Amino acid sequence: MDAITRIKQLGMPRKNDELWTFFPVAKIPAPEFPDVCACEEDFSKETDFAALLPIAQNARTMVQNIADGSEEMALLKCNNDFGRTVLNVGKGAKASFEILDNKVAHSVSAERFDINVGEGADVEIFFANPANDLPLTFRHFRITQAAGSQVRFSAIERGNGISRVSIDGFLQGPGAHFEIRTLNMLGGTAESHHRLHIYHESPETTSTQLSRNLLDGSSRASYDGSVIVGANCTKANSGQLVNTILLSEDSSVSVKPVLKIYHDDVECTHGNTVGELDAEQMFYLVSRGIPKETAKKMLISSFAKETFYPLSDSPAKKRLLQVLGNG
Amino acid sequence: MLSIKNLKASIEDGTQILKGINLEVKPGEVHAIMGPNGSGKSTLSKVIMGHPAYKVDDGSVELDGKNLLEMEICDRANSGLFISTQYPTEIPGVNNVEFLKMALNSKRAYLGQPEIGDDEFKKLIDEKMALLEMDERYRDRGVNDGYSGGEKKRNEILQMAILDPKVSFLDETDSGLDIDALRIVANGINHIMSPEKAVILVTHYQRLLDYIKPTYVHVLRHGKIILSGGPELALKLEEQGYDWIEEK
Repeated sequence: MDAITRIKQLGMPRKNDELWTFFPVAKIPAPEFPDVCACEEDFSKETDFAALLPIAQNARTMVQNIADGSEEMALLKCNNDFGRTVLNVGKGAKASFEILDNKVAHSVSAERFDINVGEGADVEIFFANPANDLPLTFRHFRITQAAGSQVRFSAIERGNGISRVSIDGFLQGPGAHFEIRTLNMLGGTAESHHRLHIYHESPETTSTQLSRNLLDGSSRASYDGSVIVGANCTKANSGQLVNTILLSEDSSVSVKPVLKIYHDDVECTHGNTVGELDAEQMFYLVSRGIPKETAKKMLISSFAKETFYPLSDSPAKKRLLQVLGNG
Repeated sequence: MLSIKNLKASIEDGTQILKGINLEVKPGEVHAIMGPNGSGKSTLSKVIMGHPAYKVDDGSVELDGKNLLEMEICDRANSGLFISTQYPTEIPGVNNVEFLKMALNSKRAYLGQPEIGDDEFKKLIDEKMALLEMDERYRDRGVNDGYSGGEKKRNEILQMAILDPKVSFLDETDSGLDIDALRIVANGINHIMSPEKAVILVTHYQRLLDYIKPTYVHVLRHGKIILSGGPELALKLEEQGYDWIEEK
């Protein structure tokens, strides 16, 4: 079944669709589709509207193959409203991909990334785009990982519109590791929605999810994160943590952790905190003579930077901390 | 210098912790405050600095004639008050040296002075870290982040040395310190101390007072100073505890 047929079959996202629980679905304009789908792949099992949208719009596909054992750094930028990128990372390769914004401010833009990571490969994917006014943006990632591979996904979102990042990750080989660190710094009426499904399909696979939100104005964020551990996945390990600081009375966050575990010998955790700036930390700073507004900025900055400090030195860490004002 | 008169303060549920503190601290003096757990010693420093968990019910606190209780917290600090709490707060992500420079420049701005230059600040911090025998790790870490109890106390005295306050209120600075660290920290405090400054030490033990000689020793109990004396009072308290005071 091609993407156009499938997306028409699914219909527009609805509030009662569990993939779109927190998203303002009424704000998605009904798209028109071409008569013929240029992509012949079978999408009959795809369930996410946003994953299908670029393909159903016959988006241009960019394919990049990274050879076994090689090292690659690349900038990925979609120049149209809709785009698809396929990255095939060879065995033992090391790759760093930074995704840049498509700044064409049309009513809706959607990108899809298919990332296939070979055995023992090490991949980082990140974006830290400047604050923009794109009204409605979708980014969907389908990531498959072979044995012993690592993927680190990091992002800072500061836009003024509504964005949704969806990730379907498949840890298919023993020892594969997926890690995501995201930071939303939102104000005004901005919204950021994350939807993840991480499938542990092999023993000793590990995944960590850290999402942090700094929400001001009447901004909204949501985190809908599912971890699915298969029946034979001995020693699988997964951790999910969402930390939110609400800087205003009208900002809000919604979090939905889901664990589906079909094996006993696994360790899976999740946590969620929502609060204001730490009062003791604030007192400590001002008691050293630092004015309250400056102290507040210091604490916000420290909360943001902490998201990415644990990353090992890499282009992603350098870029993300640079965006946060660390040189 | 620091004049505390009839200071009464309570916590949110209305429980009054300080029930009329009177204390006069003059330049060059070292005051030791001792007392049983829960008597209000830690509360006193936080109330003077303006911790939001406490409400002042009555009394006044003046530093060089200025009413501290009417000032913003940062202004109290920049006017020359420094407090070190029993459990210094950890602030991961705020670099220790950048924090120190920010604090110093805030004070200089308050006093109408220009910001300190990079070279001058480096020289200052190098000198104070050497005084306190602190290693380089303190520079790159977050404020008190992951420090041991002793490291935190040493870092507090580093801040005191950099900010050069008129009055320092040090709450159980000796707790968590091994013998060598106690000597180093005490020597640091003595070095920072001058005839123009004053120190108030909260301690449970004579050992700190072996290094820092107090001018006066006070006993705080049930939210009031119930007895004051000279250095010999600390020795007597160490020998006999606090019960004899109430008997008296």
